[in-house]
Amino acid sequence: MKWRRTWAVAWKEWREVMRDRLFFAMAFVVPSMILLVLGYGLSLDVENIPFAAIDYDKSALSRDYLHRFIDSRYFDYRGEARNVQQLDRLLAASRIRFAIIVPPRFQERLAASRPVAVQSLIDGVFPYRTQVSKGYVAAINADFSAHLLTDAIAQRQGIPRARARQFVTPIRLDARYLYNQAIRSRWSMSSGLIMLVLMVSPPFLTALGVVRERENGSIYNIYASTVSRGEFIVGKLLPYVVISAMNIFILWGFAVWLFGAPFKGDPLFFFTASLVYVICTAGIGLLVSLIVRTQAAAALLTMVITFIPAMLYSGLLVPVESMGRETQIEAHLFPTLYYLRIVWGSFLKGLGWPMLWGNVAALVAYAAVLWSVGFLSFHKRPRQ
Amino acid sequence: MGQATLVEASAAAPPMVRVRGFVKRYRRQVAVEGVDLTVRRGEIYGLIGPDGAGKSSLMKAVAGVLSFEGGGLEVFGHRVDSEASAEGIKARIGFMPQGLGLNLYAELSVEENIDFFAQLRELSAGVLAERKQKLLAMTRLAQFRDRPMKHLSGGMKQKLGLICTLIHGPDLVILDEPTTGVDPVSRRDFWAILAELLRSQGVTALVSTAYMDEAARFHRLSLMYQGRVLAAGEPEAILEQAPGSVVSVEVEPQIAALRRLGTSFSQVEGIGPRVRVFVPDAPPEAAAERVGATLAGFRLKDLKAGEAELEDAFIALLEKRRLTRISPPASDASYVEGKWGRFDPGAPGGASDGASHGGTGDPVVSIEARGLVRDFGAFRAVDRVSFQVRAGEIFGLLGANGAGKTTVIKMLTGILPPTEGEGAVAGADMRRAGQAIKARIGYMSQAFSLYQDLTVLENIRLYARIYAVPHRHLRARIDWVVEMAGLAGVTGRLTGRLPMGIRQRLALGCALVHQPRVLFLDEPTSGVDPVGRRRFWEILIQLSRAERVSILVTTHYMSEAEHCDHLALMYAGRIIADASPEAMKADLQATAGQLLEVASDRPLVALERLQRGGYAGVALFGRRVHLLARDVGAAIPAIRRELTAAGLREISVTPRAPTLEDVFVYRIMAMERQAREGIQ
Repeated sequence: MKWRRTWAVAWKEWREVMRDRLFFAMAFVVPSMILLVLGYGLSLDVENIPFAAIDYDKSALSRDYLHRFIDSRYFDYRGEARNVQQLDRLLAASRIRFAIIVPPRFQERLAASRPVAVQSLIDGVFPYRTQVSKGYVAAINADFSAHLLTDAIAQRQGIPRARARQFVTPIRLDARYLYNQAIRSRWSMSSGLIMLVLMVSPPFLTALGVVRERENGSIYNIYASTVSRGEFIVGKLLPYVVISAMNIFILWGFAVWLFGAPFKGDPLFFFTASLVYVICTAGIGLLVSLIVRTQAAAALLTMVITFIPAMLYSGLLVPVESMGRETQIEAHLFPTLYYLRIVWGSFLKGLGWPMLWGNVAALVAYAAVLWSVGFLSFHKRPRQ
Repeated sequence: MGQATLVEASAAAPPMVRVRGFVKRYRRQVAVEGVDLTVRRGEIYGLIGPDGAGKSSLMKAVAGVLSFEGGGLEVFGHRVDSEASAEGIKARIGFMPQGLGLNLYAELSVEENIDFFAQLRELSAGVLAERKQKLLAMTRLAQFRDRPMKHLSGGMKQKLGLICTLIHGPDLVILDEPTTGVDPVSRRDFWAILAELLRSQGVTALVSTAYMDEAARFHRLSLMYQGRVLAAGEPEAILEQAPGSVVSVEVEPQIAALRRLGTSFSQVEGIGPRVRVFVPDAPPEAAAERVGATLAGFRLKDLKAGEAELEDAFIALLEKRRLTRISPPASDASYVEGKWGRFDPGAPGGASDGASHGGTGDPVVSIEARGLVRDFGAFRAVDRVSFQVRAGEIFGLLGANGAGKTTVIKMLTGILPPTEGEGAVAGADMRRAGQAIKARIGYMSQAFSLYQDLTVLENIRLYARIYAVPHRHLRARIDWVVEMAGLAGVTGRLTGRLPMGIRQRLALGCALVHQPRVLFLDEPTSGVDPVGRRRFWEILIQLSRAERVSILVTTHYMSEAEHCDHLALMYAGRIIADASPEAMKADLQATAGQLLEVASDRPLVALERLQRGGYAGVALFGRRVHLLARDVGAAIPAIRRELTAAGLREISVTPRAPTLEDVFVYRIMAMERQAREGIQ
């Protein structure tokens, strides 16, 4: 391995990327764009759910009941509907996601200690949101019922409301949220997306860079010269690793300053582990470049084999533990899982080497395998 | 002197490359089958053949960048049979792959490109500086050091590629089609530089080309076709393998003469107002007699007989090996005027529409360009181009890649709006009647624009529908296309699986399905072998002569230009010559002088002497030197005297007819000189 030749290849590649507008954009603009677009767009928080209501009772109590929903930060009250047909239309047009119908004689029946059924229509198209909405509705409804019960007991027994409340809800849940105290999905999402961007961008650049040379024929300069395949691969990929390393800083900055995610861990550990990760994912690009012949095919294949694991098998959207057995095994075959643990561990949990070294080791092993396979399947005297 | 002797005494030297029974397969497809080849030290060895002949595969294998399936290969006496053994020869080899400038880095400057290649080869700074200086000076690129490669012209890219291939001082350079798509001046320049390198550094070269007329540039060559070597040896020796003469005569009526000749001779072409016949196994005089006898009863004018060219020999050899069948252009009956095609003279856009452009008695103008200009940003691709094409005329627009030919066609066909200027096609104004123009013209693009996954018949039918051929004429039109293009046996085959030559004729048929009066052909023959090219031109001649279709064709094959009735040469967006081929040659002889060919026992010495002697247009063609002389009577003895004084022997000086390439080289150089003087 001669460093002079390796350096020649790397320096040539670096200048090409920096001068080619399209490549420059792919190297520095696209990664940040992905983070911004998905960081803002891919929020899993269910808030501001639009709803409407019909109050057939129009009593003090029914207004009180509805205000529990109207005042909640989870709901966005769009006004009162005239009749059920209008609600149907609003639901069908997705103007509202659920509706509440308070029946006539609501107050009267409750005062007479008779049960009342309030109807709630919930849009079930997107099950996750439906479940969460239903949970909120049920919680508000239960709270209101408990409130009424507390009032009734206090009145009947002649005891203070605080005492009566203890009878009604003897067990009080005391939840403390760790790591992400405000339960902002934006924190975990913006940091988690670093994993996705660094899974997609380095192999994309690498694969296009190598395939472009083959498509043009300039690869023959390498084949026909005395440069060894190791020198070529290292020199060719080095600029892309450097660019991706710069992107680690840029993306980290976006997550911390723009999305306000806390970074509690060891910066040195995080950047070291991230560097291993981009070396590893650049290796994926190297393998892609050896399989396909055209830049279009390289781009497509890279998107498919990087985006899907990063989205579905990393634990970004669904915790790996909640996946099926086979899916869990699959998830462990991709580097994304290990790196996401490193990202969230570093950002939100403040962990470092002692807890996460195993994940770094997995990435190192992954990178070693990819680069070795790439090295062995690259030939300077190919069959075609 | 020493080096020159080396070249000429090369037979005794050990071979640089030895290939035995070479076989290369791509999956199941055989690309090269049993090729033998020996390249001697110090020679320029040529591989000539059309696309798909196997040249590239062979060259890549010799360069050690492609594995092969059978046979033996030795380079510098070193056996190359594995990736590891191939590494052993690479320090002494320079390889330039096919594709003009494609192996260079567009974003890097000229100097950065050179430096990169030097760094790959671990050249020391001192050696690099010295060689770079020398090569840049030789190629006249020194003033463009800092220009990004993407802004170089085709000829400059090619020279830069050559520098990059030579920067490490290889013993053997392998150059894959270095001259394809380059303007004629740059081509000549390239050969001159290569000859100079050969002289000064003792570099051996293995060079491929698709241009048959470049054969004279090689010391020895192999003529390749479909993975095999048809013939090998010195250019003269190959001609001797298929002996014969070429007879050229102006004849009236041309179509009937072609038909008559087609019954007795296999290689018959119409060129401008003339016909050109290859007569096998006959010296010129006998050949002229035979052609004269065959054409008894026709009006003959200016009958000439002379030596055959390599392309004639190539086709004759193919016939001898029964690798191809040169049928008469079409069935006999089809040559009867009027029956062959079913053109409706009253069709819209017909000849009568354009009559207003010409005065009474003038032939009808079918295509007219007046001061066409097209800018792309700051770059002027087409600069004040004007010309006229008359009905039934074949008009050739010539120029290198990037000269602006395609842009002109796109403007005339209404695809691209011009920045300035106007044009009329088939009587319709190009700017206002875009749609009307499209119905009156046929257009065949460089890429053939056929649907590869449709059958031949489906493609024809599709084009007929696109051009709204009335339903009642559909059947007749399809039959006409099938007959005209000779597609009878392949109508049900998938287009993508057909050979290039047939695809090309199909594309032509599709462009003609709606009976256009004007036909635009954009590089229709690139990549097609000589047999296919000739067949194609036969159809074009027929269309123009019998059907009075006006044809505008672009090409960068100078030999093809001879077929055109009228030519315009484009250079850097401008038309720098506009006349008939004959007039252009006559003009060259009138202004620059007669072309002389000088043969001697030591051509490199002769070249140097004659260059120093102040002759115009001195260039090396293989073992001979060409130059231009105003006063032939005085020049011939003077040249003899000078070369004899230099100690050369076997000197002969013979006048030769100039080719179109000579014309264009002269014109372009005159223009460049003008531009330089203008700056000063």
